[in-house]
Amino acid sequence: MKLTRRLFTTLAASALAAGLALPATAADLAAIEKAGTIKIGMLVDFPPFGIQDASGNPDGYDADVAKALARYLGVAPQIVPVTGPNRIPYLLSGQVDVLVASLGITEERARKVDFSKPYAGISIAVYGDSGLEVSDASGLAGQSIAVARASTQDSGVTAIAPDGTDIRRFDDDATAVQALMSGQVKLIGVSNVVMSQIGKATGDRFNKKFDLSSQVQGIAVAPGSDALLEKVNAFVDQATTDGTLDKIHEKWLGEPLPDFVKQAQ
Amino acid sequence: MYQFNFQPVFENLDLLLYGALLTVRLSLAAMVLGLAVSVMGAVGKTSGIRPLRWLIDVYVEVIRNTPFLVQIFFIFFGLPAIGISMSPNTAALVALVINVGAYGTEIIRAGIESIPRGQIEAGRALGLTPVQIFRYVVVKPALRNIYPSLTSQFIYLMLTSSVVSVISANDLASAGADLNARTFASFEIYLVLTVMYFLLALGFSTLFATIRRVFFTYPASR
Repeated sequence: MKLTRRLFTTLAASALAAGLALPATAADLAAIEKAGTIKIGMLVDFPPFGIQDASGNPDGYDADVAKALARYLGVAPQIVPVTGPNRIPYLLSGQVDVLVASLGITEERARKVDFSKPYAGISIAVYGDSGLEVSDASGLAGQSIAVARASTQDSGVTAIAPDGTDIRRFDDDATAVQALMSGQVKLIGVSNVVMSQIGKATGDRFNKKFDLSSQVQGIAVAPGSDALLEKVNAFVDQATTDGTLDKIHEKWLGEPLPDFVKQAQ
Repeated sequence: MYQFNFQPVFENLDLLLYGALLTVRLSLAAMVLGLAVSVMGAVGKTSGIRPLRWLIDVYVEVIRNTPFLVQIFFIFFGLPAIGISMSPNTAALVALVINVGAYGTEIIRAGIESIPRGQIEAGRALGLTPVQIFRYVVVKPALRNIYPSLTSQFIYLMLTSSVVSVISANDLASAGADLNARTFASFEIYLVLTVMYFLLALGFSTLFATIRRVFFTYPASR
């Protein structure tokens, strides 16, 4: 008997961990409105999207969006910290009503959860000295460009770079950024998240030359939560048009919501 | 069971050989220039000029008591702030020369101090000029005395040069890392890299043994 119970616990735990075996628990908009709070899952270890402030409270781009969403719905936000691997299980098991957790919209994930229109995005682009005239891949010829070895930006730059491009591969983004800041290279392939950190230190010394690739992130709800999803989409639309997302993006990433996110909506 | 696949390594052997060539060139240049720095440092240190001795002491102690990684980062990322900007390969060479120069200074100083004063006096008695005394009576026997420790320092320099990939120089280790990032055949790539570095070290040892036979086996009391 004891053994069976332990076996059951183990099975239940692994099912929870996988998040697949359990039937998805749809979130009920009426119940949320009645309770007056919405449980929002977000990452707290993914700066600048999800972080903890000095007193340990969730903060960052996602936290601001989560609060704006709750305000739009007219309920109080209850932010639940989740982690990368467990965020979808949290949602599907009904422990959170929505995820504002920097969840990149991919086909594979869209089979498990329902995504809203994109509310954020991470792009990889070529940046460089503001004085330098480079607008596409052909402009890389004869230039030196730093990338983190084996990163997405490495393969992106390597794929498009014409002959005569001096691609300098460093061990990580931090070293590649050092090379740019110390003037050892004129260009860098890096994400907009890292670049916003550089922007804080260097002002307008560097600017964006052209995009390499991008991924958009959506707010996720459990399948079947159609009424809630409709409201969330209406929120994203409104927050995009009235400038709320621009303001939050400006605050955390140093520029308004990028065009590629708006176009993906 | 892991399936060994050396295909990616052999397909990109030219990349690795090119990297090995740069490692050899970098090491040879650093050895020659480093030897020059070492001899000058050792002579300065054994000279009677005090400020010069202090200056060399500072150089030797700073370099021998800091990590090479920090030194090369300082040269590549730090110096541009005061207007000294070098290409990765040049910065790598400069860092290696400065580094091996500090160790070499101490090694050669020990060699010079092992020459008995009487030997120099004998040179004078034979009517040799000061330059001749320095060349034939001091430096050459000194180099012969410390030859094994100097050459093992040089082999070590060649192996240390693998660190220069951190500033994106195109040496053998860097070629291996690039290949690994593309093909993920880590075991095969680093196995081949290990063999290549070993062969390079063996090659340098043979070179040093030849130099020793040609230049340092003149008749001498054993």
